[in-house]
Amino acid sequence: MALEALLIEDSKTQAAQIKDTLESVGLRVRVAYDGPDGLRDAIEDPPALIVLDVKLPTMDGFQVCRRLKRNPATQDIPVIMLTEKADPKATMSGLRAGADDYIPKDIFAAEHLINTLQELGIL
Amino acid sequence: MTRASGPYFMQPPVMSVRVEDSMDIMIVRDTVRRAGSLLGFSPANRAQLASAAATLAELVLKTGEPQDLNLNGVRQGEKVGLQVSSEAPWLANVATSNVLIALRSKLGDLVDEILVEGDDPPVIYMVMWLSEAARRDGRRPDEDEDSDEG
Repeated sequence: MALEALLIEDSKTQAAQIKDTLESVGLRVRVAYDGPDGLRDAIEDPPALIVLDVKLPTMDGFQVCRRLKRNPATQDIPVIMLTEKADPKATMSGLRAGADDYIPKDIFAAEHLINTLQELGIL
Repeated sequence: MTRASGPYFMQPPVMSVRVEDSMDIMIVRDTVRRAGSLLGFSPANRAQLASAAATLAELVLKTGEPQDLNLNGVRQGEKVGLQVSSEAPWLANVATSNVLIALRSKLGDLVDEILVEGDDPPVIYMVMWLSEAARRDGRRPDEDEDSDEG
């Protein structure tokens, strides 16, 4: 049975694109469109992987990541932040929040995402 | 070609990216992640290295003068690391201490070492050591930080 990923991304267009990438490597994907929904979803039914945007309504990706890493139910789930905020401060904020990788949304994003999934043993 | 040697013993991988266009920043990130992977850095540490190298590439672009950004493995005793370097002729008449303060302020904790050496032209070197990186991996996440950076 395919592993399941939870994608937390508010842009429906970008969510569809990232979902396609994850499904192309055999993962099942469910999507939450804001932080609180994503947190609830992750706690109720912990996925094998969480791909998390930074700019989210209500609660940003850094806060979501910190809460995931503090909750015993979700703290061991790999979190990959996939984001347009690629400056040094944002990168360090994501990693300090506990993200396992911090990938800018550029033309290499899908390739880097898949490489990281392989390295984390998810693929 | 930029002098890439720096203060440490060089070892593969040795890679170079010409920075002359904003698109090259993405290529820098990609190349740094690949070099970091070859040396055994974790994804999180590769993200740090890529961000530091991209910041240096952005500085190069702002000067308007294309430069090579060099990546190479370095060794100091038992320590293995990845070095990112670039000539910085625009720093020729600036005090090294001021340059270092500015770079450290900009790059924060992204890399373990930032050096500026030489004056004809000066060369910026940034190094991340694998042993330090592994220690950082063990420390994450930062439980004390709860501020919203978003």
